[in-house]
Amino acid sequence: MTNPQSAPVLKVVDLSLRYLTRGGAVKAVQDVSFELAEGQALGLVGESGCGKTSVANCLMRLLPDNAQLVAGQVLIDGQDILSLTEDKIREYRWQQIAMVFQAAMNALDPVYKVGQQVVEAIEAHGVEATVSLARERVARLFRMVGLDPALMDRYPHEFSGGMRQRAVIAMALACDPRVIIADEPTTALDVIVQDRILRELKGIQQQLHMAVIYISHDIAVIAEVTDRIGVMYAGRLVEYGATEDVFRAPLHPYTAALMGSFPSIAGEKRVLANLSGEPPNLIDPPPGCPFHPRCIHATEVCRQEIPPRVQRGSQWADCWHPLEESAVPESVEAGEV
Amino acid sequence: MTGYLVRRAGQMVLTLFLIITVAFFLVQAQPGDYASFYALNPDLPPDVREQIRASFGLDKPLWEQYLIHLKNTVTGNFGVSFGHFPRPVMDVLIERVPRTAVLFLTATVFSFYIGFFLGKAIAWRRGGVLEYTATISGATLFTVFTPAFALMMIWIFSFRLGWLPVGKFLDPLVWRHADVTANHVFGQMLLTAFLFTVFAFLVLWALRKTGRVALARWAGPLIAVGAVVVLLLWSISSVGGLALDILKHMVLPIVTLTLISFAGTMLLTRNSMLETVREDYVMAARAKGLPEKQVRDRHAARNALLPVVTSLVYSLIFAIDGSVIIEVVFSWPGTGLTLLQAVRTEDLPLVMGAMVFIGLFSLLAHVIVDILYVYLDPRIRYQ
Repeated sequence: MTNPQSAPVLKVVDLSLRYLTRGGAVKAVQDVSFELAEGQALGLVGESGCGKTSVANCLMRLLPDNAQLVAGQVLIDGQDILSLTEDKIREYRWQQIAMVFQAAMNALDPVYKVGQQVVEAIEAHGVEATVSLARERVARLFRMVGLDPALMDRYPHEFSGGMRQRAVIAMALACDPRVIIADEPTTALDVIVQDRILRELKGIQQQLHMAVIYISHDIAVIAEVTDRIGVMYAGRLVEYGATEDVFRAPLHPYTAALMGSFPSIAGEKRVLANLSGEPPNLIDPPPGCPFHPRCIHATEVCRQEIPPRVQRGSQWADCWHPLEESAVPESVEAGEV
Repeated sequence: MTGYLVRRAGQMVLTLFLIITVAFFLVQAQPGDYASFYALNPDLPPDVREQIRASFGLDKPLWEQYLIHLKNTVTGNFGVSFGHFPRPVMDVLIERVPRTAVLFLTATVFSFYIGFFLGKAIAWRRGGVLEYTATISGATLFTVFTPAFALMMIWIFSFRLGWLPVGKFLDPLVWRHADVTANHVFGQMLLTAFLFTVFAFLVLWALRKTGRVALARWAGPLIAVGAVVVLLLWSISSVGGLALDILKHMVLPIVTLTLISFAGTMLLTRNSMLETVREDYVMAARAKGLPEKQVRDRHAARNALLPVVTSLVYSLIFAIDGSVIIEVVFSWPGTGLTLLQAVRTEDLPLVMGAMVFIGLFSLLAHVIVDILYVYLDPRIRYQ
């Protein structure tokens, strides 16, 4: 599925972001780097508050006023979008990178017809010359995501949750973006609809040869649709690699813990591992490895020094005590911190 | 919708009946009546006093007076004003209500426009100089003692600067040789304003219907051309100078009213919009690459409009009964001033006529706003 010879369409280099608050600077994203080629799907996983959505907002450059970019570049076809002017960024949004929003319920404006909200995006970028052409385009998009084009002239409150999610996907596709960020695309839906929509999204991605970044707290959902996976903890990318490798043999104890905390329908019945504790306070993160207070393998060195990068094939992790290849998720069952 | 409107009409009839009943007995509860002014004259013999009372119909028992009054009101007969004898109540009201309506409608439109515009601007860019200036001056004007402020405006602009007339509806010196009545000229001005508003809406509607963004930009200039043509026609007409005199008299009350009332809309819009700017669809609109102005106006401000429209109901009622204070200070012969005089002199038919008018318009304003809601928020439907 990966296509190594195509040049990366998106390149994130050493991205660091913090939010200035009364309590101090919250280091929301630290030294995050990854690449994404055309037609590739990357998954970013982690608990709430570990910086996934902040990374997404950086890519869209949709940051709140108190956000401060400390360092880093976001390159699309070699163009650093973090240095663009307000006017340029507006052209870049939706045409280069579009977003399927977290909580699609609220991403549609209640007072406009759904079709009109997609037309609006098409008009803003001058993708189609007239309103009727734009409407035809919306009809095509609706059919692509499995919605009846007649629903264009309905209001969001007349849609079911699944229909809204499809509409939001259609909206993201409106200007043929090169990259789509799907931020918790299906979290609010029931499991069956969730699965169907994810599969359709994957089909569309392969058909249009787009690059997609999936963001979720649910590593199982991500695993089904991505080629690569990045695990985030405390604003850092702590493990990265081909999805199958990471899934087969995670290097970082945090990844293993995340995998252990979701039930598997197909696998054998087992007690779910419970990752106790909470992600650290990012105003004053713990020294050394940020995961050490919750890690069952933590030793003195973890508490004091930043862990080194361990490489294994396509996969790497920042850890002092990477798990062995045989150390499958069962090992976290004993996890009591 | 039709069923809803029928039910609303039924409710309106009932409410109006209650207004008439309560108002009638309230006025009657005042000590004395219109005939007492004559009846207390010691030079009149007792049978003449009784005759005067009988001629006003005030000798009948209260319930009988009430029933007669109710019957007449239902049949559309508002009677003859005691104080403006022999003018019918309807005649007095038809002269006075438009004067108040024009003054207060204009002021309401201005204060809503300014309030909404400022409110969305300060909600969009928080913490700027504009926010502090607008909030502090708006709140000060909103809470200032109205008569004092109105008198201060008159003192500055009429006495000190001499730019505008002191008060009243027109300047008798200008009208001395006029061969038309003020009501006639004012009626024509109202007609012009109404036709121009219709024209402006038609232009906006027609250009939007074409569905081309480039054409919609011409709406502003086109309406401006229309306004220039109207003004030119008026200035060459024979009554242009007279109309200008009336307009001059309107400026100061309108400016004063706008200044003391815009802050309400402004703060309401600001608070409402501070909530909508945090909504996901506003973020989505920005992510779609829409220009900031479009994100603000079409999404954030548009959704913040609903509570603002609710407050418009009260302002619309204000536009019919006027503000007694403003009308007294500016000697503006409108409904408020008329009602006050009628109550003081116990001019029963005029009080009742004015109350019915005000009641009817307030009820209509509520219905209009309820219907407007359906267009503003597609989630609202009436069964």
